[in-house]
Amino acid sequence: MNSAKNPNASTADRIVASLDGCTKRYPGVLALENATFSVAAGEVRALLGKNGAGKSTLIRMLTGAEVPDTGSVKIDGVEISQTGSARALEAFDNGVRVVYQELSLVPGMTLAENLFLGRWPRKAGVIQYAEMEREAAIAMDRLGLDLPPSRLVAGLSPAERQLLEIARVLLGKPKLVILDEPTSSLAAAEAEKVMTAVTRIAAEGIAVIYVSHRMNEIRRIAHSATIMRDGRIIDTVDVGGVETRDIVRLMLGSEASQAAVLEPRSLDKVVLEVRELKSEPKFSSITFALRQGEVLGIAGLLGAGRTELLQSIMGVRVFESGEIFVDGKNIGLPRYRQMVDRGFGYTPESRKEEGIMPLLGVDENTLSTDFSTVSSFGVLSASRMATATRAIIERLHIKTAETDTPIGTLSGGNQQKVVIGRWVHANSRILLLDEPTRGVDVEAKAQIYAIIRQLAAEGRSIIFVSSEIEELPLVCDRVVVLRDGTLKEEFTSPDINQDAVMAACITGH
Amino acid sequence: MANQLAQKSAKPASKTGFRLSQHMNEVSLFVAIAILYIVFTATANGFMSFNNQINILRDAATIGIAAWAATLIIIAGEIDVSVGPMVAFISVVLAFLLQWGIPTPVAFALAIVIGAALGSIAGILRAYFDVPSFVGTLGLWSALRGTGLFITDALPVSIGRNDIVDMLDQSVFGVPPAAIIMLVLFAVFTFVSRKTAFGRSVFAIGGNAHAAFLSGINVARIRVALFAIAGAMAAVSGILLLSRLGSGNATAATGLEFDVIAAVVVGGTALSGGRGSMLGTLLGVLVITLIGNGLILLGINPFFQQVVRGLIIVIAVLANIQAIKRGAARNNN
Repeated sequence: MNSAKNPNASTADRIVASLDGCTKRYPGVLALENATFSVAAGEVRALLGKNGAGKSTLIRMLTGAEVPDTGSVKIDGVEISQTGSARALEAFDNGVRVVYQELSLVPGMTLAENLFLGRWPRKAGVIQYAEMEREAAIAMDRLGLDLPPSRLVAGLSPAERQLLEIARVLLGKPKLVILDEPTSSLAAAEAEKVMTAVTRIAAEGIAVIYVSHRMNEIRRIAHSATIMRDGRIIDTVDVGGVETRDIVRLMLGSEASQAAVLEPRSLDKVVLEVRELKSEPKFSSITFALRQGEVLGIAGLLGAGRTELLQSIMGVRVFESGEIFVDGKNIGLPRYRQMVDRGFGYTPESRKEEGIMPLLGVDENTLSTDFSTVSSFGVLSASRMATATRAIIERLHIKTAETDTPIGTLSGGNQQKVVIGRWVHANSRILLLDEPTRGVDVEAKAQIYAIIRQLAAEGRSIIFVSSEIEELPLVCDRVVVLRDGTLKEEFTSPDINQDAVMAACITGH
Repeated sequence: MANQLAQKSAKPASKTGFRLSQHMNEVSLFVAIAILYIVFTATANGFMSFNNQINILRDAATIGIAAWAATLIIIAGEIDVSVGPMVAFISVVLAFLLQWGIPTPVAFALAIVIGAALGSIAGILRAYFDVPSFVGTLGLWSALRGTGLFITDALPVSIGRNDIVDMLDQSVFGVPPAAIIMLVLFAVFTFVSRKTAFGRSVFAIGGNAHAAFLSGINVARIRVALFAIAGAMAAVSGILLLSRLGSGNATAATGLEFDVIAAVVVGGTALSGGRGSMLGTLLGVLVITLIGNGLILLGINPFFQQVVRGLIIVIAVLANIQAIKRGAARNNN
């Protein structure tokens, strides 16, 4: 234990929460396998692992959201024994609190009102504002949040909102606070405030589990790091004495480097060029070129600015400065519908919120990019719709009962194939795919990789954004890493090495 | 493999569930209409007479023509509360146009263009300036009623003798032209909502406007078009109102907007958008019209009629929701 970072050494050895041999199996997946884990009072423990490594299952064990199939969970020395929703309540009563990525504040209410949301101090039904604001000021002061409690949340910066969430959690006098990627949406200077707050919480003797992949943050605040992979706890290491590349090796495992690699291809015709694109605080001086028939991977951690970059190119989001060239011509300020007309296609990261129209059929979801090919004078032809949809269904191996089955009833993978397929229908030549394999089963993932390679072989150019490092060598001719707001390293097939890409993503400045 | 099997068994069930729930909506509305017919036939004198049935059709046209457009608007996730004043205002404008000696067909066409232009104001505010459609159409509601009353002093604007206008109030084989126009427009709107790129885009926008935009649908233009269409339909109602009253009347069609919205909602269209059907609205229009007609025939105190109407509307929607829920649940098990 690194005692220099742990001023509260007397309480440090008291175990606040522990898992003992916990296994959790979901249909078809072993989410957690024989996990034994403990965290002490006053300790900041980093939790690392790829998507699907079992981090969230481990957290759900601690919060009582899930019951382990075998093994036991202890909070403050007492075993959690209830089942169902009573279990989560029991863990809560014993002092377990989670601050999630999705913030749960009401923007139109004041800081104090949000802190005490639903539990406002009141007398005969009247809220005691003076008392509430006094207590709120104390609570916020604990985290170094120096703001008037009567201010509205609407005007706060993302970091201040995150701190307010943490302050709210602290009001319940917790013993264990779990922070799930608290800095993922924050710029570097902002993240600083959150880290200071985390250090303060730990100094009060509260145990903290800090889920993050930003190594520079982890090195600053955590004492030790637990690394998970494939549902297992691989190791818990002392952060001070370990190299980043060793952590990468633990996260990815030894089989990582065995993945098949693509043959290098010689591509020369540049179809899209981005010069010095800037949109503070997300990114600045982004410069890259995309060639015809190329799959360009953009790697980076959650919140690195990948989505914002794609949206800026597509004209869905405004940027400060920079130039975009399509076929060598400067297009000026991009507008979404014009980009579509130029042959661009964009699939958003959140399929459910922005990708699909759930009540409409597969046919209408596919053909919405271009109704003109299946209609005359605006009147749709049922037979041409069915034919065009069937063509896409067959090409992209979409599993659906009928062409007009509501898309909401399909599996995630098949929904994603439809969302990609609509741009194939529109005959787009430049595709910007934002996390196309998120929430998709293994079989569908492999099919989506094959589809992307097929589209590239046809001469379409594709930007493939992914936070799953292991899929980049399978799909991409070239990978660039987005970190600290700019494109850092570049890897070209066949030299796309997972370990090196992951290290480039998580390394600090 | 297991996944594949699961998908195969899951899909047909959900598909029939979709159909059954549609079915339940219309079945329960048919039942409601049948009950209203039985109750009013038994209690209200002359309810089943030919003349009264024709009256019901004519009254249905007043609500129906506006309700077809309102159905599309509500499916798109919007609302239009400007219908009543729009109808009255157009009837006044048309009366003036005719007084000035503008040829009747030209005046009709002008009235429809004016209606579409006025409606598109709310559409443009919604589509390009993010003003909620409730606010935009509420503004129209107030401004149009006010303008109509102001320029006419709340007095009817008579048009004198006009053969074309009179013809619109002459029954064809006993059926009033208003009812025929309503049914023709019903067919047109059903076709548009089901078979055209425009109609399907409306469903797409109501179901997920963001996804619709990202897939390249011109969301803003469709929103403007929807309100322009609603304005044009209100103008058609205004023309029929003029033919029925023989004058333009700024005080007419009071509260029509709520009958229209009630008919659409009773017809099973979701106020949250994305879901609904023209057939449902047709049945909803019948329910609302039957209630109005029956209560008058029963001679119930007009003030109390409003209470009964309110109760029947809420009970009809409540029963409908329960029937759909039960149908879906039975199907899932």
